Amino acid sequence: MLITHTHTHTHVSTMDRECASLLPSVCEVLADSGRSVPDDTSLEKLLDWFTGLTEAGGSLLEACPCLLKFISTVVHNTASDPGVLSFTLRLTGLMAATEDGFKMLQERSVLNQVFNLQHWQEAGLWDDPCLRIGWIQGLRSTLQHPKALSFFVQSDFIDPLLQLQTDTSLFVASAANQMLAHILLFFQKVSSAGSNGVNKKEEDLEPPAITMETSAEYSAVVKGISEYLKESLIPKENTKLHQSLQILKLLALLLAQAGPPLRDKLLQTVTESLEELVTAGCSQLTLPLMDVILAANSSSCPDGRVPGQRVARILSSMLSINNAADLCHAAAALLRRGHHDTVHTARAVRILLLPLDIITGPTLLGTNTTADEHLFSVVEQLKSKTSCISMICVCLTNTPQITLTPPGVLPCPPVLIVTAVVSLLRICSGSSSSSSTGCSEVCRNVIGSGKVQKCALEALTALNSSPGAKEKISEVFTILIQYLDNPDSDPTVLHKSYQALVKWIRVCTDLSLITDQLRQDLVEVVKKRACDMRWEVRDSTVEFLGHLAGVHVSVTLGEEVCDASEALLGGCCTTPLLKEALQDTESYVRASAISALAKTLTHSWQQGAALTEDQTEIVSRLLEILSQDTEGFPRRAVVQYFISWFFSRSSHSPPSSSTSSTSLLMQCVRTVLSQGSADLDWEVKVHTLELAELLLDQAFSAHRGYRKGSDAHCALQHPYGVVSDQAYTLHTHTGTHAEGVQSDLARVVEQGVISALLSGLVDCDRPVALKACRLLITLRETICPLSLGALDATAAMATVSCELLGKGWGQEITKILGMEKSDRALETDISAQRSFSGADGGGDSVTVSEVLRSLSLDERLEVLTQSSDHIHNSPLSLLQDILTASAAHTHPDTKPGQEVIVDCY
Amino acid sequence: MKLYCLSGHPTLPCNVLKFKSTTIMLDCGLDTTSVLNFLPLPLVHSPRLSKLPSWVCKDGTINLEKELKECAGRVFVDSQPEFCLPERELLDLSTIDVILISNYHCMMALPYITEHTGFTGTVYATEPTLQIGRLLMEELVKFMERVPKAQSATCWKNKEIQRMLPGPLKDAVDVWTWKRSYSMQEVNSALSKVQLVGYSQKVELFGAVQVSPLSSGYSLGSSNWIIQSHHEKVAYVSGSSLLTTHPQPMDQSSLKNSDVLILTGLTQMPTANPDGMLGEFCSNLAMTIRAGGNVLVPCYSSGVIYDLLECLYQFIESANLGTTPFYFISPVANSSLEFSQIFAEIDICHCTVPRKETLIQTNKLKHYPSIHGDFSSEFRQPCVVFTGHPSLRFGDVVHFMELWGKSGLNTIIFTEPDFSYLDALAPYQPLAMKCVYCPIDTRLNFHQVSKLLKEVQPLHVVCPEQYTQPPLTQSHRSDLMLELQPPPMPYRRCSVLNLPFRRRYERVYILPELANSLVPSEIKPGVSMATVSAVLHSKDNKHTLQSVPKPPPVPPSKKRKRVMEEPPVVLAPKPLLSGAVPLEAFLATLQKHGITEVKVEETADGHILHLQADDTLIQLEEDGTHIVCDNNEPLRTTLRDLVLRFLQKL
Repeated sequence: MLITHTHTHTHVSTMDRECASLLPSVCEVLADSGRSVPDDTSLEKLLDWFTGLTEAGGSLLEACPCLLKFISTVVHNTASDPGVLSFTLRLTGLMAATEDGFKMLQERSVLNQVFNLQHWQEAGLWDDPCLRIGWIQGLRSTLQHPKALSFFVQSDFIDPLLQLQTDTSLFVASAANQMLAHILLFFQKVSSAGSNGVNKKEEDLEPPAITMETSAEYSAVVKGISEYLKESLIPKENTKLHQSLQILKLLALLLAQAGPPLRDKLLQTVTESLEELVTAGCSQLTLPLMDVILAANSSSCPDGRVPGQRVARILSSMLSINNAADLCHAAAALLRRGHHDTVHTARAVRILLLPLDIITGPTLLGTNTTADEHLFSVVEQLKSKTSCISMICVCLTNTPQITLTPPGVLPCPPVLIVTAVVSLLRICSGSSSSSSTGCSEVCRNVIGSGKVQKCALEALTALNSSPGAKEKISEVFTILIQYLDNPDSDPTVLHKSYQALVKWIRVCTDLSLITDQLRQDLVEVVKKRACDMRWEVRDSTVEFLGHLAGVHVSVTLGEEVCDASEALLGGCCTTPLLKEALQDTESYVRASAISALAKTLTHSWQQGAALTEDQTEIVSRLLEILSQDTEGFPRRAVVQYFISWFFSRSSHSPPSSSTSSTSLLMQCVRTVLSQGSADLDWEVKVHTLELAELLLDQAFSAHRGYRKGSDAHCALQHPYGVVSDQAYTLHTHTGTHAEGVQSDLARVVEQGVISALLSGLVDCDRPVALKACRLLITLRETICPLSLGALDATAAMATVSCELLGKGWGQEITKILGMEKSDRALETDISAQRSFSGADGGGDSVTVSEVLRSLSLDERLEVLTQSSDHIHNSPLSLLQDILTASAAHTHPDTKPGQEVIVDCY
Repeated sequence: MKLYCLSGHPTLPCNVLKFKSTTIMLDCGLDTTSVLNFLPLPLVHSPRLSKLPSWVCKDGTINLEKELKECAGRVFVDSQPEFCLPERELLDLSTIDVILISNYHCMMALPYITEHTGFTGTVYATEPTLQIGRLLMEELVKFMERVPKAQSATCWKNKEIQRMLPGPLKDAVDVWTWKRSYSMQEVNSALSKVQLVGYSQKVELFGAVQVSPLSSGYSLGSSNWIIQSHHEKVAYVSGSSLLTTHPQPMDQSSLKNSDVLILTGLTQMPTANPDGMLGEFCSNLAMTIRAGGNVLVPCYSSGVIYDLLECLYQFIESANLGTTPFYFISPVANSSLEFSQIFAEIDICHCTVPRKETLIQTNKLKHYPSIHGDFSSEFRQPCVVFTGHPSLRFGDVVHFMELWGKSGLNTIIFTEPDFSYLDALAPYQPLAMKCVYCPIDTRLNFHQVSKLLKEVQPLHVVCPEQYTQPPLTQSHRSDLMLELQPPPMPYRRCSVLNLPFRRRYERVYILPELANSLVPSEIKPGVSMATVSAVLHSKDNKHTLQSVPKPPPVPPSKKRKRVMEEPPVVLAPKPLLSGAVPLEAFLATLQKHGITEVKVEETADGHILHLQADDTLIQLEEDGTHIVCDNNEPLRTTLRDLVLRFLQKL
């Protein structure tokens, strides 16, 4: 028997005959203003399909001549649905994207009709944003070649386009902005073509057929646009703020991508306006303005040319604007951009550290903060609660970045920033006394503020890698434990405190830095939080215990390494707490407890240590959860636990590993496979198959032709996945022979792997069936190799069989096999005939190799690989949908306008 | 209007308001912190307590062997515990007309005020306040009477001796006024003077003022009070809460527009958020039980315990504590639980009903009057025990302290905010038991009260001085004080405040027939005036204008009328004048009448016209005109008529 591996690739980019035949009637439907379109998305899908066809190199005009007629009809019918009109404009643009298409459309004067503004305005259709956006996007698609540019310029479209930049519809305005940027950037080579030829290397990419004419047209466009930018950048009154905002966005877009000639030209034109805008000090424009300045600054050459210096000056004045909050945002923007000029960076750092310095008491900036001319304004702003909290949060968010700036830039040693964040946390919890801190009027604004607490904890977490962090461990631990203990800490604050704690433990080279008192406090607080009323807190606590177990530290410098939970919590605390958490009423907590237990035990599994009574107890509790828990999360976690255990044992265990624990593990694995594959939750089933995969890997990885599933596709990542990041590397059998396959297969059958795979194969959840199918194919390729030399092995294999249950998946498999059988009724294979003797309910025994060959696994894989909506997404079904919908709507019973209008919120 | 402050304790207030001829006492809280200076009263003989050494003065000059005992470095009075009463010398308590009670915690001194002082007034309280207050008093009396102590220590109170004592005893104030607990008889007599009121019910006091309780959201039946006349409004805000677990939400809108707002009973634990504390309570409880220990919760038999039970009911399932027994031991446990049920059901928002019920019905919470009897046979450990008194000086809690104090597995969780837990524990030291302090105080915090005051906008705020500065131990927390404009008027024990009032009006009623007879005339657009002649009748602070009685018709008599018996002739009142005399026009008129030599002199209030020829002065002032003219009656009459020409007659 030969199975051919063929994959038929369905291309959406080629138009098949069936679609081509349907298209004219679809066009007819769409062009008929009396009939309605099924829904907006179908037009979008249609356009996507056309775009796909065009991108694949096909010509729409050639493939579907009916489109041309469609366009003319629609354009002349002002009663057309605006949605259809918009679609038509964009379709036209798509067709004119190539020079040939453009030429043909122009010859039939379609282009002039379609993009004729006056026509749309007179018809009163221009008011519909749908049409305006169609116009912009249509033109945007067209503008891919010089001819289109000429058309654009000659039609005087530049002014209307600039007007659309401040359109009332945000989508239209944004599209207009994109379009303006596209014109300037796409054709920018045109202007440089004749000049110095700097970009010679990129000549290939230049748009073809550059003529002097095009160059002149481009210059005109650049001139028009940059004059407009210069004129309109400064808001005339408050209402024009929107316009300035749009222009700034456009400028940022342009400056980031423009080549030197265009950039210089733009800068020359707008620098003065930018300067004026900076002095105007408009809060809402600060961030976009900063974006523009930074884009200009980073793109301007460091060759000391005048525009460059001017930009640097603007940047300087941006960093000395009066409004303290804006200043903070500007400084933060500068740092975020990874700006490298030390003068400005140093200034930004000072700006960002000043509010922290004011609140936590002057330590960061030295005593000369009075030199910061905006000190007064900052203090004033900080006295208002809202602006105080927002400013402090901006500062905190940037502290990790600040500590990474070069030493010359930083006004203080990085470790002082850690100290400041710790002080701030103390002030926030209300525990710090004012004597050592800064302005009390400001401090009261942050006391008890959850937002500041969270920001500060995040900052502290990230600061663990800053230079000198190690000296601060004890202080950081103290404040974090205090936060964990504080009855008023909300669940998120507690979660972040735990995260910070885990990160900072990694900083410890040895745990002697943490005093016994701190450890004791931590134990107490963790015990308390494990009993918290809020499940989120219990969950974070349990998670923390797991994370801690994953961190390895040495107890004292250079000494033996152990996991952090052992070292910090003394070992006697973690497992009892986690065992208790297995009984939690909240399923998430139970699931977290299970994965934390797995992390805690991984080390002892790897060492092959004998099981403790505790562990045996846990195992029986876990099996209970797998069979009885009503929630999916804990059951998933249980399967993951056993995966983790099995993996640790098989990849690490030395020969001396305890046999009692191995036998318990294998016993459990059998239970997990049978229960997991019968679970109602598809993820449990997928995890069960992952365990089956590990068993297959272990059994066959030494055999020729076995391709590990995990090599082919990465294991799915799950929130409660306990499998470590390292790749599966199982120990391999030594000295196995081909005959060994038979015994290995027998063992795998006995473990229940085959049953799990077969039941997965007929599962109604696609991911389950897919995974099972892949694994079965792998298995088939190992035990039923196609090469002739392996026939003897196949014969031997025929003796290994497995049981099919008379109901459920067994019945299903039997049915499939029966069908296969009747198809090949004439083929003589008596032994096989004996093996599956009908589907009459009893537990039948079938030969594994025969089953593998008879299940048409490859065909199944193909079906399963396609996404579940592939049928509904095909262009054909789209076209059919449009036709059906239209037919339904034109049914005599339905009066026009009576269709159901779906409210979209 | 005056406010006499008889208590300095911000949450156990006792103030007297003198307002419009009424004398109103606002609350009469009993400061029980004084009992911390005494040794605990054990229910069962305690060898440990009885063996405590007597305190000996270093130089041996004082011998108080019988009165003072020493425990872990602190000195305690070995006597029946005594309480610090509200000040009784500042004002004659027999003059008090009414006492308004805001909640059951603030009435514990009632028998001391109403009995043996000559008090003859009425006490107003809501029904839950009265009933639960009675329970708390009854419990207190039973706690004391159950363990009678023959000895009464008094020598230590001698000023000379007290000065030489160590620690807190030395600094205790007014120890001579401290009193032992009242008797049940006194309680009953005091409570018989209580008249029940419902929320928003208006009670007239002598026609002068109207008082009305408003829901304050703090505890069952708790109220704030509005005391108002027609033109003045005083709001008395005592323990109030915005937390939603309580039966009726706080009525804030009725507090609006008061002239004076007396603010007491804010949270005693401004830094301890009740939700956080409840969480802390539950997790510590679960932690102890899981480790096999017992939990002791010293508490009052009403109040916070209801919240604890409610919270625990939800918690025990999730914490797998389903099998742990919960005991509530108090002489009034049964009634307290019943009352909480009844009153919660009456309230509109009866969200607390099913939970407590369930905790009892499912046999998870068992209640007993005392550790003797049924309890001792059903007692199972580990368990959770709720019992009083939170001071740890008397009640069943003393027994559990002796029983469980030695084991580190057990935990005592303090939830009542009234006592310092370290002071409460002092006579039990050294103690192995774990101590957790989770004071739950649901009363308004500073943030909430600032918001409330912004909303209700009183003209003046009066509050205990403690609220005008940050707490002593946290002087940097400027967020934990009241900051108002104008600044609040602070008071302390024995302060007498003059409350500022802007308006001084009385409402006077006018009878319809009298009103009918009035003839108003418009003196300027929109303002009309009329003169009224009437008899002012005042009774019960209510003023009415009545028509002047007509002379009774003369009975027909054949006798000769006697002149003497004729009723006095009521003279028609002279018309009132209004308006101003314009100087220029008046001068012109004078001239027309031949008076030409007029010297005009400007004065502070108007002008003086000197008619030099006649040696006559005319003083034209804003509120009067005088003609000084000696011996020239015709001229005076002429001048008077000239002046009258410019004025309007009513």
